[in-house]
Amino acid sequence: MPLTSPVVEELRRIVGRENVINSANDLRIFERDASIEGAIPDAVVLAASTEQVSAVIKVAAKHRIPVVPRGAGTGLSGGAVTIRGGIALQVTRMRRILEIDPVAQTALVEPGVVNQELSLAASSHGLFYAPDPSSQKACTLGGNAAENSGGPHCLYYGVTTNHVLGMEVVLADGSVHWVSGDTADRVGIDLCGVLVGSEGTLCAITKIKVRLLRIPPSVATLLAAFPTIEAASQAVSAVIARGIVPAALEMMDRVTVGAVEAHFHAGYPTDAGSVLLVEVDGLPEGTRELMAAVRDVLAENQGFAMREAQTPAERDLLWAGRKGAIGALGRIKPNYYLHDGVVPRSRLPQVLSAVGEIGEHYRLPVANVFHAGDGNLHPNILFDLRDREVMQQVENAGEEMLRAVVELGGALSGEHGIGLEKSAFMPWVFSPDDLEAMQRVKEALDVDGIMNPGKIFPDPSRKHVHLAGRTGLAVEAKWW
Amino acid sequence: MVISPVIEMPSSAEELAKRLHEAAESRLAVVPVGGGRASGMGGAPARCDVELHTTRLDRVLEHSQADMVVSVEAGISLESLQAELGKARQFLPLDPFNSPGHTIGGLLATGWTGPLRQRFGSARDFLIGIRVALPDGHLATAGGRVVKNVSGYDLMKLHHGALGSLGVIVAASFKVFPRPLHDVTLEMTAESIGAAWAGVDAALALPLAPSALELFSDGRVLARFLGSPDAVNHMVAELGWQKADASVWAEHSRRASGSWARIAVPRRSLHVILDTLPRDSKWWASPGTGIAHWSFTGDAETLRDVRRAAEKLQGSLVLLAAPAEIMTAVGAWGTPPATIEVMRRLKRAFDPDGILNPGRFVV
Repeated sequence: MPLTSPVVEELRRIVGRENVINSANDLRIFERDASIEGAIPDAVVLAASTEQVSAVIKVAAKHRIPVVPRGAGTGLSGGAVTIRGGIALQVTRMRRILEIDPVAQTALVEPGVVNQELSLAASSHGLFYAPDPSSQKACTLGGNAAENSGGPHCLYYGVTTNHVLGMEVVLADGSVHWVSGDTADRVGIDLCGVLVGSEGTLCAITKIKVRLLRIPPSVATLLAAFPTIEAASQAVSAVIARGIVPAALEMMDRVTVGAVEAHFHAGYPTDAGSVLLVEVDGLPEGTRELMAAVRDVLAENQGFAMREAQTPAERDLLWAGRKGAIGALGRIKPNYYLHDGVVPRSRLPQVLSAVGEIGEHYRLPVANVFHAGDGNLHPNILFDLRDREVMQQVENAGEEMLRAVVELGGALSGEHGIGLEKSAFMPWVFSPDDLEAMQRVKEALDVDGIMNPGKIFPDPSRKHVHLAGRTGLAVEAKWW
Repeated sequence: MVISPVIEMPSSAEELAKRLHEAAESRLAVVPVGGGRASGMGGAPARCDVELHTTRLDRVLEHSQADMVVSVEAGISLESLQAELGKARQFLPLDPFNSPGHTIGGLLATGWTGPLRQRFGSARDFLIGIRVALPDGHLATAGGRVVKNVSGYDLMKLHHGALGSLGVIVAASFKVFPRPLHDVTLEMTAESIGAAWAGVDAALALPLAPSALELFSDGRVLARFLGSPDAVNHMVAELGWQKADASVWAEHSRRASGSWARIAVPRRSLHVILDTLPRDSKWWASPGTGIAHWSFTGDAETLRDVRRAAEKLQGSLVLLAAPAEIMTAVGAWGTPPATIEVMRRLKRAFDPDGILNPGRFVV
């Protein structure tokens, strides 16, 4: 439902005329995030300060209009999609790094700061920000905190919630609060811990205080080939079982490696059934020792053609291949669809063979590129959105893969969030009582349910919508 | 008039939830009890009709060695869990004070930590799933048994450190860690606290920071290095302190007092707050995290002064145990957090009749 003129006027008074977007054409730009489903907001408000975010939410609360906080729109679960209409509250104008404290090793940032920009800024102090989603060149720290994002290096360093020390947030009534802060122990309930990862359903985030880490003096990155994806999975378990927790432990299958190599020419072995990218860091003697141990374990588990990056440039190229892998898959098919379920690490061989069978059953190419050390899958189902017939198959295949994950004792999402995409699957892993407990948190903090409605919790009123042609716009606009 | 509380010792989560529900229906005040190691923490309960003990819920539910994940019932003692994990050369990096005898549920509810927090964080950082009994009799689970999970709200964080005021923790799952390849403890004793701080700074500035670093009021400093042998040995050589026996940590973890407080301030302000303590105070501190434990002897006024100073530094002083008159005069928690109203909303959502630990926590 379009906003009434008085409401639009109220919003314009807060952020300025040019920072409220409500023309049909312009709104289309905000229809999507990086997931597959879209919905056009009734208005987009580009806020520039905490005060503006608070004032906008107060207007929304007064009129019971949904508010969906939005960063770079790189999310993969539909978290930033305005499925019930309302206001997309864009925070990318709030993009200042307010403070880097090299002594305390912390940074205070606004939510629109791009993930990688923080590490770049901190590097002059010998510090970095550890969570590194593959979209880190574009995704914002506000979005990272809202989704509790991960990344390859979270195996050793932990995910976003382990690095957020405190936040300034705006609740559904427009009130502004600081949660947690600079001390290790606090008095009271850990609101910050509850709000990180709440996917915009409890608050809008307006400032974030994060922990920075010292850049390790030495890094070693190894690429190893394996005859099969099962062999590589066994090797992953064997490394961890040996008591080694590498900084990162990533896997790519043959399909992915082919696309990556064609695109990046990083020296990935295209004849391998799968490859592992292993990184250890720390003191030079420590990384030498650990890498030697890693090589031994991999060799014992059918690893071959092992190649260690000799220069930082070589290392960067290996990582460019990994982090750009999903983009490179565009060489095979223009569109992809993926879930990010997590299985207990020892179940990787089983779940990957299930994923392979499901792909074959639906005759859809599947490319696996994922955080093997965490058991965090990313099976990319490749397709062409122009072929509308295929969409139902893609969706069914994705759902079956996720079902396989859950049946092996896994979780619906390791880092992308539940959002819109997986809310219907929540009852697979949570009982009605579990969901009701979560719902109580929601209702306690957002009485009228205006914050990012329609996310996380199953929506019985929502018919199971098919991926294709939901809005028709993606096809018309030829976004591939 | 003092009426002894009813002692309930259920042997299953379902039974515990039932007892909790029955109590709630009758508006009886329930105090959850684990190992009793932190029973002095928080304000004196306003009422205690039922003591709900978790100690019979003491099973390891599942230890998946290859996945490095363990699920346990809340009443298991930390020592029993470590013994189980040790069989697989794994451990949970929790080394709370006033050990032994903490239960896992108690540690989660209190949020207590020890020296290893410097390297591994608190249980908050490796708690991956939780099951909680609620006053309405429901058992609610959040998280799961995988090391990385963003499915639904992170209710692990909601209950960690909430002192059983929102529900009774009945089971938990953790990410566990491999025993370090090498584990060396060093010690130095300085002539003065100033010299001890210089040692602390030197240790923290090392390229491989110690995994635990403890400073004592008598000028002693303990450092623990975990990691690959070559890297650890390099740091040991660089620091040049004396080697100490690893048993110092078990001894340290037994430290506690009938009158003690936990002070938490931003790391850089730790020395400032320690300077405000009365001369000859007995304390120990983790300079890497900004936490100090103070075994106080002074009067209420002294405690108030130190708390005021800690709060001025954006920190806190929490009484872990104190004589009743001190507890009453000073209060367990200090100035309520600015977000107290938000916390109260959550309290009302989970415990509308206020039967859980009434008077003990901040909400």
